Amino acid sequence: MRLSRLPLVVGVLLLIFILQESFVNRIDFYLGGFSLYLVFVVAWVINEEPENAMLIGFFAGLIADLSPTLEAPFGLWTFVLTGFCYLLVSTIRGNLEPQISPIQMSLVTSLSATFLLILFVIFGAILGQDVASAIVLIKELTGNLLWSMVLAPIYIPLTQRIHKISLTARER
Amino acid sequence: MANKRSGRTRLLLVSLLVTSLFLVTLDLRGVSLVTSLRNVTQSVLAPFQSLGSSILNPISDFFGGFSNLRNSSSRIEELEKENEELRAKAILNENIAAELKQLKGVLDLAGKGRYKTVSARVISKGGTATISESIVIDQGSQAGITRDMTVISESGLVGVVKSTTATTSVVMLMSDPAFRIGVRVAGTQFMGILSGEGEGRYFVQMLSAAGEIKFEDSLLARGSSGDKPFVPGVPVGRVISVENRVGQLTARARVEPYVKFDSLGVVSVVLKSAGGDPGDALVPQAPRPAPTVTVFVTPSE
Repeated sequence: MRLSRLPLVVGVLLLIFILQESFVNRIDFYLGGFSLYLVFVVAWVINEEPENAMLIGFFAGLIADLSPTLEAPFGLWTFVLTGFCYLLVSTIRGNLEPQISPIQMSLVTSLSATFLLILFVIFGAILGQDVASAIVLIKELTGNLLWSMVLAPIYIPLTQRIHKISLTARER
Repeated sequence: MANKRSGRTRLLLVSLLVTSLFLVTLDLRGVSLVTSLRNVTQSVLAPFQSLGSSILNPISDFFGGFSNLRNSSSRIEELEKENEELRAKAILNENIAAELKQLKGVLDLAGKGRYKTVSARVISKGGTATISESIVIDQGSQAGITRDMTVISESGLVGVVKSTTATTSVVMLMSDPAFRIGVRVAGTQFMGILSGEGEGRYFVQMLSAAGEIKFEDSLLARGSSGDKPFVPGVPVGRVISVENRVGQLTARARVEPYVKFDSLGVVSVVLKSAGGDPGDALVPQAPRPAPTVTVFVTPSE
């Protein structure tokens, strides 16, 4: 990734973070919450090279860690997102066809966002964070998966369009 | 060439992971820079959250309404009738009216307990993909709010202030899995520890084997040293069932909180408890049954 692209990517991530914290969090979603930020990050990095994906994951994690309502230690999202984005792009993405169908894309994005939450809870528990009861966790994760899939036709084309704009003519 | 590139990628991955673990270590060791970063973020987010709150308040329950779909149809007729009444009364702003009601309720409670309070509006809740239960209110250190202050609503305890900025504060709700509070059974001196288990489930574990607890008992905050994090006497919840397990040393009961966390609009932060422990003065009164009048008809002769 060209270094000149990084400020733009971080700017977009900050914008989505503000949108999540100020607007999406205010909506009482049925079952559990919906993390626009996580699905956006996943839908973005899936179009990147592994090296770019882990860099974007790192900065996306740093931004997520800034959330004032977060109970977990600062750096936990950075750790989880860096590792996951790299693994996602270098393993799962490598096994898919170059042109992912919209259904595949929705599935990969929604499942990845849910898996990210699971990883976050597991690593949080390892670091001594209090974990919600199993019922609450299952409800939250199911809700997240459901809304990530339902809203995929809105956020995936949007993410891809913004991603395309962020690329240089040569990269396109 | 490819090997060189893959080696560089791995080196970068390891460096980034080590950096993130370094940040975790810094935070766990209590480095203030990390805390201030989150406080700065909160200050930056506050105006956006206020905007979000004013835009989304009227429609925030839209998605939540799906869960009550089954009950909705039976309520449609009732609501249509109510809607006509509301139009007739020309209430222009339901939100303000609701917030005023909550504000009046919370000020009544604070007055009874002789608490010095600061009232605040809830401007945001939850976090980016967090399962913790918290809200953000629009008053901060400028209003005298500091960490570990008790937060109440018209019905009772809401939670405790976790962090503050100049103009906002983050409040950990009673429903958070990490939340614990010492409580006293109203009318007695029996004490216990109340903890949330998520999904609106709360349990109280009595501290002494002699501690008695029964259905419908009210639980009040026991209070902390220097009134932080809890002022004494705030209503916390009522017992809805008592567990009887063989081999259990102390009694354990399920509790329903007095506060409905999904409809919080206005809360108050207790700055000081002026009158000491108010005892049982704040226990919510159970609704009195309406007196029944029986009329015997005697046929006239």
